[in-house]
Amino acid sequence: MKGYIGIDVGSVSINIIFIDDGGVVVEAIYLRTQGQPITMVQKGLKELHGRLPKGSKIRGVGTTGSGRNLAGIIVGADAIKNEITAHAIATSQVVPGVQTILEIGGQDSKIIILRNGVVTDFAMNTVCAAGTGSFLDQQAARLNISIDQFGKIALGSKSAVRIAGRCAVFAESDMIHKQQMGCGLPDILAGLCEALVRNYLNNVGKGKEILPPVVFQGGVAANVGMIKAFERALELPIKVPPYYNVMGAVGAALLARESAAKRGYSLFKGFGISDMRYKTGSFECTGCSNLCEVVQVTEDGGVIARWGDRCGKWSNAVREEKIS
Amino acid sequence: MRIGIPRSLLYYYYYPLWRVFFAELGAQVVLSSPSTKGILAAGLKHAVDEVCLPVKMFYGHVLDLVGQVDMIFLPRIVSVEKREYICPKFLGLPDMIRCLKDLPPLIEVDINLYKNNRDFYRAVKNIGSIFTKNHLAIGRACFKALQAQKKYFRLLNMGLMPAEALALVEGRTGDKSQRKKERLNIALLGHPYNVYDPYISMDIIDRLHKMGVGVTTAEHVPDKITRSYAARLPKKLFWTLGNRMIGAAFHYLEQPGISGMVHLAAFGCGPDSMTGGIIERYAHSSGIPFLSLTLDEHTGEAGIMTRLEAFLDMVQWRKAAFSS
Repeated sequence: MKGYIGIDVGSVSINIIFIDDGGVVVEAIYLRTQGQPITMVQKGLKELHGRLPKGSKIRGVGTTGSGRNLAGIIVGADAIKNEITAHAIATSQVVPGVQTILEIGGQDSKIIILRNGVVTDFAMNTVCAAGTGSFLDQQAARLNISIDQFGKIALGSKSAVRIAGRCAVFAESDMIHKQQMGCGLPDILAGLCEALVRNYLNNVGKGKEILPPVVFQGGVAANVGMIKAFERALELPIKVPPYYNVMGAVGAALLARESAAKRGYSLFKGFGISDMRYKTGSFECTGCSNLCEVVQVTEDGGVIARWGDRCGKWSNAVREEKIS
Repeated sequence: MRIGIPRSLLYYYYYPLWRVFFAELGAQVVLSSPSTKGILAAGLKHAVDEVCLPVKMFYGHVLDLVGQVDMIFLPRIVSVEKREYICPKFLGLPDMIRCLKDLPPLIEVDINLYKNNRDFYRAVKNIGSIFTKNHLAIGRACFKALQAQKKYFRLLNMGLMPAEALALVEGRTGDKSQRKKERLNIALLGHPYNVYDPYISMDIIDRLHKMGVGVTTAEHVPDKITRSYAARLPKKLFWTLGNRMIGAAFHYLEQPGISGMVHLAAFGCGPDSMTGGIIERYAHSSGIPFLSLTLDEHTGEAGIMTRLEAFLDMVQWRKAAFSS
C-alpha cells in the first residue's frame, strides 16, 4: 500500500494517521503525549509500521500541532504546517462546503470560518487555556468519573445548573458550591458543558459569523454533552466528522501529499527512527544578556537541530555542520 | 554631565528631540542597552504587579542606567496633543520609578500640552536651566532639537523603521537596509514601544520580513492623514497613540496594496482592548483579514508563530482565490 503519514503533536495527544493516495484514512493512532513527545512519536510510528501491510511505501510525511517542528526534524517531514491551516484543509476535504469549524483540543480552542472553500477568518484562544480539553479532563478526575462517561452522564440532565465559565478556577469553585448544595451530577456536568460553550462563543467566536454546515472536531468533540450544548446555543445542527480527533493529522498528511508531489520524492527518514536514541535538552546561552534558552535535539549522539536562540548563533552552527 | 535616557516607551517617538537638546547644552546622553531577558527580569522584580509589560520593561531600563549616569531623564508626559492624553500609566511613571532604591537624581518635568503648546517651552526652559542660565542657549538647543525631531518623523513617514530613521538622524550609516518590494504587504499596528522593541514583539517585524512579507506601521502614515481618518469615529478617543493607530488603520483599510492587518496588544492594556476592538470591527466590515496578537511575559514563541503562520496562509489563500 502506498500513502502518506500525518502527525499531529499536541499538548495532550499525539495523533498519527495514514492515508492512501486518494486521501482516505486507513489507519489512525491516538496516543497521550504524557509530556514525552519524541518517545510517543517513535512509539506511534512503530505501531503504525506494525499495522500496515508488508511492503507499504511511505510517499510523504507531514507534521502539525505545537510540537510540529520537533516532530518534523525527527521524522524528516515534507510539510510542517500550523494546526489552523491543517484543520481547514482536512475538514474541507471531508465535509465539502463547510463554513464553520469549531475545534477544541487539549490546550487550544479555535474557530475557523470558511467561505467557498477559502479560510476567511479564524481565532484562537488568547493567553488563557480555560475551557479546553485539559480542564474537562481534570474535572472528570476530580468527580471520579471516566472522561468517556462525561458526555453520556451530562445527557441525562433534566435542567442544567448555571456555572460561571469565564475562568477555569471560578468554574471549579462554582461547581463545588453547586455540588455541596445538592445538585445532581448530570445537571452539574451539563451546566459545565453549557458554560464552556458560552465561554467559547464569547471569547473565541466573538464577532464571527457562524453559518452552517458547522463542524465540531478536536478531542472534545467526543463529548456528546458538548455537542448538545453547542446545538442548543447555536440552534444549528452540528456535524462531527468520523475522524474528528485526528483531523489535524489528516490535514498534515494532505499537505505532505502536495509538497512531496512538488518535490518529486519524500524526506521521510524511514520507520528505523523508532529505534534511534533521541535526546532533547536545553541550556542557557551566556553569550549576551538575552540569556536565551537554547533547545537541542540529538540523534544517536549527534546534534540534529537547535532552536530558541535569538541571534542564530547556535541554530546556524547546526546548519553549517550539515553543509560541510 | 551624563544624562540617562531609558530605551523604552516614548523613546521610540521623542528620542531625537531630547538627544539633540541635551547634547547642545553640553551634556552626554547615555542610552540604556536594548531590551533583553535580563532587563525584563530586573523590571519584573521591581515593578508594581498590575502594570503592563512595556512599563515593566521600562523599570528594567531605568535600572540598567543606574551607575552609568549622573541623572536620569524622566518627564511626566501628560499630553502631547491638544485635547488628548497619553496613557494614564505614563502620568504615574515618575512616581512609580521614584520608589526604586539607589537611583541617581531624576529630571522630572511635567509636559502637558492638553490646553496649548506653550507648556512645552516652559518645560524646556526648566530642564535647560539645570545646565545653563543662558536663555538664548536653551532656545537655540530647543530649536535644533525640534528640527531633528521633525526630520525623524519625516523619515518615519517615508516608510523607515525607527532604528533606520534614528541612524540617519544621528548621521550614522551602516544600518542601511535595502528593502525589496514584497508581493504581500501587511499593516502592523500597536503601541510603538511594543511594535518596535524587538524583545517585546518577539522580533515580529524581522520575522515577517524573513517570511517575505512587507510590513508597514502606523508611524509610516503622516499625522495629517491619520487625523483626518480618525475623525470618522463618531466620538474621538482620549489617547493620542490610540487615535494614531485608528487613523492609520482606517487609512490602510482603503489601500489596495495592504492584504492584511495585525494588531499587537499588551496583555492588560486598557486602551489596546478598546482600539483593537474598534479596528477589528472596521476591518471585518471592509473584508480585510485581521489578526489580534496579545503579548505578555512568556518567552515561548510557538503561540505567536502559529497564529502568524496561519494568518499569512489565510491571507495568501484569500488573495489567490480573489485573483482567480
